[in-house]
Amino acid sequence: MRSSDLTFKKVKIPLLSDSISAGFPSPADDYTEENIDLNEHLISNPFSTFFLRVKGDSMINSGIKDKDLVIVDKSLTAKPGNIIIAMIDGEFTIKRLSIKNNELYLKAENNKYPDFNFKNHIDIQIWGVVIYSIHSYL
Amino acid sequence: MRSKNSSNEAMALIDANNFYASCEQSINPHLRKKPLVILSNNDGCIIARSPEARALKIKMGIPYFKVKESLNSLGVVVLSSNYSLYGDMSKRLMNLLKDCSEEIEIYSIDEAFVSILRPKDKNLNPWARKVRCLIYQNLGITLTIGIAENKVRAKIANKLAKNIDSSAGIFDLVRINNENDYLRKISVEKIWGIGKQTSIWLQSKGIKNAKELRDADENKIIKKLGIVGKRLQLELKGNKCLPIETIKKQKKEIQVSRSFGKPITKLEDLTQALAIYAIKASEKMRSQNLKSSTITIFARTSHYSNHAYQKSAYKKLTNATDNTSTILKIVVELSKEVYTPEYKLSKAGVLMQDLTNCKYLQQSIINYESQEDSKKARLLMRTIDSLNKKFNNEAITWAIAKKPQRWSMNRNLLSPGSTTDIKKIPNITR
Repeated sequence: MRSSDLTFKKVKIPLLSDSISAGFPSPADDYTEENIDLNEHLISNPFSTFFLRVKGDSMINSGIKDKDLVIVDKSLTAKPGNIIIAMIDGEFTIKRLSIKNNELYLKAENNKYPDFNFKNHIDIQIWGVVIYSIHSYL
Repeated sequence: MRSKNSSNEAMALIDANNFYASCEQSINPHLRKKPLVILSNNDGCIIARSPEARALKIKMGIPYFKVKESLNSLGVVVLSSNYSLYGDMSKRLMNLLKDCSEEIEIYSIDEAFVSILRPKDKNLNPWARKVRCLIYQNLGITLTIGIAENKVRAKIANKLAKNIDSSAGIFDLVRINNENDYLRKISVEKIWGIGKQTSIWLQSKGIKNAKELRDADENKIIKKLGIVGKRLQLELKGNKCLPIETIKKQKKEIQVSRSFGKPITKLEDLTQALAIYAIKASEKMRSQNLKSSTITIFARTSHYSNHAYQKSAYKKLTNATDNTSTILKIVVELSKEVYTPEYKLSKAGVLMQDLTNCKYLQQSIINYESQEDSKKARLLMRTIDSLNKKFNNEAITWAIAKKPQRWSMNRNLLSPGSTTDIKKIPNITR
């Protein structure tokens, strides 16, 4: 099964466009109809992958900004160093899974935000691993 | 080719626990660990409960208005059903299960029969535990897995897995010593394929549970219940009679019907509702390459109403069609036949029957549409469908659907989270 079976919005970017309207047929005609499907390239586990929207700047130092779209793969098991999504106290949070003195904790990439360790917060559930973030420059 | 050693092949019935509630809790963190109920269309009855809501002894099927206040005081979260979310999660679930099994038959939105080869040591528990872990991690959904030799017994095993606390959601009916004790726990009306009438007859003959049906006089069973009963009894004994059906049977009809948010008393409202259902049904047909040659509509009052009314009307066509414009004309005409000003109508629907696959379709000799016209119509329909797909539904529709809908479905309590609409995906708030 390919990602095309999913109801994800497809973004299709034509590789070549036929712009010759008269005269000789385009020598490129035989090579058209190929599209880059970002779903196919970015998502290897379509049935475990979800899109989420970032609100706020707690990960600003790692380049993830307010309003960015993040692609999350829930089939991956989080490892230290991964940017992850967790459920804490009824909210989604985005943090880096980090390790200090042999203990795992969730680190914000912005000095203004506190870290979370698993001891003080009983109700932390790691929800998925962030595989990409998409930022709009417009 | 994979070898088909039937003695090695096991059948499992896998279903999701509290599927709708789990889908909501999985993508809405604020719902996690909260008592939650989901309402049917039009926010009518309770159709799903989270484990936390079950623990509060909230019952299935009761009308929302009757318990609204008590739910509120108990702090229960109430949501309208969000079928686009459940449909997407179901698709994900079934595709993940496909990768864990030999063959899969999708049986409903949240259950599937799968066939699986038994390992040398015959123990499928490690496999079942892995499947449960995988689905919980990937989708946040808890499964129940019943394992046996065939479908009827896999269904029973699934029931046992649910009822026996120590089973941890997995029950293998083949690997137990005291099978009779377990089969006795399953009363006949709970057996897959036994309807109400049959179960009354069985009980009158003193056959009360699965063990007694398995051991009942074969001649008596076949005489009364025919080949269906014979197969059922054979499956109870451990034979495999009902194969897994991996290919979806072609649909016999396509139905679009909904209850109204407010009862309809005006003809123009009924016509509009039926027109919108007709547009949806035509779209569904085209997406499956089907054409219909019998179009039926119906309208009725509420089941709870003291003055029951139900009427249907149909039209047979010489040429099967999937053209929305043609179908709309017919449905608008027919709507006058089912309309009555005397009753408050609460539900209506459109049925596309006598479906044929476009590939095998024969054009009638007396063809009213010229070839050129039908080609144009086909192109128009295809363009509309692809635009609607691209811009998320109803970018283009017929004028009748765009007028204000006074009767449309209530879904006042829809959850914000979506996995299918980029504008409504969950937010990461901290």
